[in-house]
Amino acid sequence: MITKDIIDSYIEKIPPSPKALKETLMLLNAGELTKASKVAQTDLALSSYLKNLVNKPIYGFKNEVTETSQIFGILGVSGSQQAVYNYMVSLLSPSKWELFKLNATSFHELQAKLSNRWKDILEHLEIKDKDIESAITLLPASIIVSEALFCEKLEDINLLRSVNQIDLNTVLQRLCGVDLFDICEQISQKWDMPSQVAEIIQAASGVKPAKDETTDLLGKWMHLLLFYELSQPMFIEAELNDFIDFQVEYVGEIYDDFSQVMEIG
Amino acid sequence: MRALVKNGIGIFTPQGFLDGNNNASFLSIEDIDATAKLNVDMILVSLKKVIFFNRNGLDTFVKMFIKVRASKHITIGFCDYDSKKFTAISKFYKNDINFSLFASQDIAELFSSNYKNQNKNILLYNEDKSQRSAMAIELHDKGHNPIIAQTEEEFKEKSSNANAYDVIIQDSYLGQMGQSIATRVTGNAIIYTVSSFLDAEIGNTFNIAYHNNSLNVGFRLFIFDTYKVISMNVHALNFFSKLSSSGAEYNATICFVGMTFEKTPLSFKETLEDAGIMFFNQMDDILQDKELLEELGASSAAAIANKRVLNKVMVTELPNFIQATVSTIEMMTNSKAAKDTVKINEIKIEAKGDKIASSIGFYGDMDGMVILVFPKEIAKKACELLIGEKTDDMELILDTLAELVNIVGGKIKTLLSDQKISVDITLPRTYPNVDALLEIAEKRKGVQVDLSFDNDKFLFFLTR
Repeated sequence: MITKDIIDSYIEKIPPSPKALKETLMLLNAGELTKASKVAQTDLALSSYLKNLVNKPIYGFKNEVTETSQIFGILGVSGSQQAVYNYMVSLLSPSKWELFKLNATSFHELQAKLSNRWKDILEHLEIKDKDIESAITLLPASIIVSEALFCEKLEDINLLRSVNQIDLNTVLQRLCGVDLFDICEQISQKWDMPSQVAEIIQAASGVKPAKDETTDLLGKWMHLLLFYELSQPMFIEAELNDFIDFQVEYVGEIYDDFSQVMEIG
Repeated sequence: MRALVKNGIGIFTPQGFLDGNNNASFLSIEDIDATAKLNVDMILVSLKKVIFFNRNGLDTFVKMFIKVRASKHITIGFCDYDSKKFTAISKFYKNDINFSLFASQDIAELFSSNYKNQNKNILLYNEDKSQRSAMAIELHDKGHNPIIAQTEEEFKEKSSNANAYDVIIQDSYLGQMGQSIATRVTGNAIIYTVSSFLDAEIGNTFNIAYHNNSLNVGFRLFIFDTYKVISMNVHALNFFSKLSSSGAEYNATICFVGMTFEKTPLSFKETLEDAGIMFFNQMDDILQDKELLEELGASSAAAIANKRVLNKVMVTELPNFIQATVSTIEMMTNSKAAKDTVKINEIKIEAKGDKIASSIGFYGDMDGMVILVFPKEIAKKACELLIGEKTDDMELILDTLAELVNIVGGKIKTLLSDQKISVDITLPRTYPNVDALLEIAEKRKGVQVDLSFDNDKFLFFLTR
């Protein structure tokens, strides 16, 4: 069905991050918000993405924000870096979703919700680190990879799942020895993302706890956050709820804290 | 959302958070209806992967459940939860629980008509005395040995010696149980469950097409679980006599288990015995008697009633059958298949040793049977994806092979429906060796396709 060769060729086809993005990220890293926004402006698709992103209701701005410099100013260095990474991940998404009932708008919505709630979580955990803040951006890549690898195998997957409760991550792991999160890690390496991003994402799979205590804790929060979002009607209807297995036991110890941060009654 | 159907139980497994906003997105009445059509006798929502739920989150499910139970007579409820979740559900619904609660899927299975796990020593406790009794009666009916703890202290004391019991049941609740004519396969025996009053209605409720096709696929032993039958009238008597006679040409046996004749004339028993129906008091009398089970369930080549020939429609659709099979095995093994030869003949199997087989029947706009013969190694490889590890457990491999053949059957069904040909599929049957298969397939003519997967030979046979 899916072989290691298919995965390798998929990763091969992922383009390196465009020059303008690289430069934007570099300047953001150096704390040069104004210069970064000027470079970002030269990439029209990026500026349009940023504009759509910050004007989503979840950001809660009363007036429409249109200027890239204004957007970067509002988001700050870490928020801007996160937004640029979100944009890079969105570049991987297909023009037409087939496995999941998503579209560009709903996918961006998921990115925005995850990013915003991740920020709340990091505030609660009192963690101020722009790389950790950006880690959340790689999480939706697992959804894009599932779509890319399984979209032509829809019928096979449905039949397989009619006789066995098996999630896409396990199918891939059993068939090829690598899983969705390993592929995300390879994408992050290709894009020169900080290595901590991939480590947190691997832990967020729920099946590969990290050795480092903080990374593992962040993995737990991210795993639970993912399923909090995938339990929203919009994403259940997009058939995302069971694309990977929810590891209830893994996140058990942080649930009470999580429900406080998310204000779950 | 789709349910996973196993051992007669359809289970939906939502993940994450369950509240009034999202529960309708998880499950629709159409999802439940589609599952009920798969001959299940229980539909449950598993709470194993749910970390948060509230009453609103469960309410929509409960409303749909009750609708389906009224029309389909199946057991409905929730399963897979811990004590904390059980307490929460009990608190939400207080004295108004009209669905069932099973702490785990294994416990639910004990109450279903699946006899695979029969004869278990079960310790059970429920605060409510009538619940304790209801559970004990159901478990006893299903052939288990329930031991009731009358108080919580007694339960704690007894359950501390966990090795003394196969299963311990607590935090479970029996709502109204279903009473449909369910069909189960144990080994190679098909079990039908009937209850209350058997009258002319049995002609409508019994799925005769399913039964006939099971005969055609090679099932020979049909057991009617009649523990819960109160009485039978002359219409039902005629129905069963006819059913038995028509099966006789296949050398099939029908058995009644647990039938009492308190409210049914004893002369009916003689008439049924004359028609060839056998009577047993306990399900164990057949299912635990391996020799008898083998004798009654064994196929008989001499008695294949009508050796039908392949027809034009089947030959035209042959590529679909092969594609469904090949793509499934390719998907499960991740290897490429090559077609070696295609012949119309009686099935010929070279090198019979170390091979296992499986068959699945289909009926509707067209009918027939697909037989697959695997070298054990391919079967093992193909099952690895479903099992998740390498195994030499033959029983597990045969069970998983049945699931795999089910996938093939499902795929054939889909491919044929694209051609506007509507078929249903029977349950898959497995054969631990080639001889067992040849007993039903030897004299049948059909299309034989020899395939190779890497260097392993694999045989596909399509017949009627």
